[in-house]
Amino acid sequence: MAEETAFDPKKFKEAVEEKTNARLKMWLEICAHCGLCADTCHFYLANDKDPKMIPAVKGKRVLEAFKKKDKIDEEFLEDFYWTVYGDCTMCRRCTMFCPFGIDIATITSTGRGLCVSQGKVPENLVKTIESYYKHGNQMEVSEEDWIDTLQWMEEELQEELPGATIPIDKKGANLLYTVNAREPKFYPMDISQAAMVFYLAGEDWTMSSKGWDDTNLAMFAGDLKAASYISQLVRDAAEELEVKRVAITE
Amino acid sequence: MSLYELLRGPLLWLAFGVFIGGMIVRVVLFFQLSTKKDKPIYRFFSWKWLWLSIFHWIVPLNETAKKNPITTAVGFIFHFCLLVTPLFLLAHGVLWYESWEISWWSLPETVADYMTLITIGCGIFLALRRILLPYVRVVTTTADYVLLGVTLAPFVTGYLAYHQYFDYYTVLILHMFFGELMLVVIPFTKLSHFIMFFFSRAVTGMEFGRRRAPSW
Repeated sequence: MAEETAFDPKKFKEAVEEKTNARLKMWLEICAHCGLCADTCHFYLANDKDPKMIPAVKGKRVLEAFKKKDKIDEEFLEDFYWTVYGDCTMCRRCTMFCPFGIDIATITSTGRGLCVSQGKVPENLVKTIESYYKHGNQMEVSEEDWIDTLQWMEEELQEELPGATIPIDKKGANLLYTVNAREPKFYPMDISQAAMVFYLAGEDWTMSSKGWDDTNLAMFAGDLKAASYISQLVRDAAEELEVKRVAITE
Repeated sequence: MSLYELLRGPLLWLAFGVFIGGMIVRVVLFFQLSTKKDKPIYRFFSWKWLWLSIFHWIVPLNETAKKNPITTAVGFIFHFCLLVTPLFLLAHGVLWYESWEISWWSLPETVADYMTLITIGCGIFLALRRILLPYVRVVTTTADYVLLGVTLAPFVTGYLAYHQYFDYYTVLILHMFFGELMLVVIPFTKLSHFIMFFFSRAVTGMEFGRRRAPSW
């Protein structure tokens, strides 16, 4: 897990080697430094057009990291950390406007992955990743609480729409409906409203007792190992319930 | 062997060899590494999005062109003249004929002359952009100026040679030298976008295309 690692140039170099791929090499080399990405970045626009905020500069920072390999120092890493986590939301808008199609979002994500090798991940993201491993969702909702919430929402729903249900673990349903873990935690009514739509549409649907959180915050952390573990949870649930489709909440 | 013969013979072979060989190596290396570490390219491969992506940017049919009409116009004219002028210059055609007895259509000399000036003018515009616009200056490195210089040098010396300003022989030698230098640096620098442009556009076009979101 991310937090157990600390500043370790050797691991940084390993991460660089692992993450070097053909696209990244190509992109980092061919950038013509034309600056056409400037206006496409909300960080640039929101910071009084600070030239240091343009996407190409952030791409260059990652290139520096790739060149440094194990010659990084803590000062560089700290600065790099703030660039990849603080100055880019990986929205890919600049990619759409780059004449070469250079994907700064993917480059930033790779940069975050390099930070993961040094245990440098924002604290809140680390907490959610731990929660995914422990509870299968980002909000530390236990399976018991989850089922309770669904049953409670079903009762509320039936007051309005007698006969409507929130099916749990219904094998062979057409649709598996997954949610953001914030919904059972803070906005459970969202679930009963979705159920209302499904009921009125006559959809054959189900919710799952496991693998029901469709968010993937590890992806934002650049922690691809955790990210694929989290995606796998939903996939496993879909396969176990033999559903035809997986729907994700808005 | 005179300096002229050296640049006209063995060094020209070397320059073309490095240029073409270097490009082939770049493409081979891309395929070698990407088949191992860039699986999404092949998993979501689509000729449709590949061609659409290249097409929309090889002609200015994209939002960036609409938002930056002047830079786009200069960029397109620059690249057009850069490729077409040397290939269809009468004097170059004569050299090809002398060596290989092959010939093709060539530009009227006055047109080629103006195209040379236009290329240089566009180059100066691009350099001024680098100097004057803070958001271009911030990403500009020495290499950017050097490469722009290397790209323009054959045009400047070519213009001087055609009009026989200064010492013709010296200018001609410099022209050949810079022309060959430009070819040689292409595979090793950002100028490799000569070929990698197509690969980069293709992979991004397919990546956005599979999400039904055109990248232009």
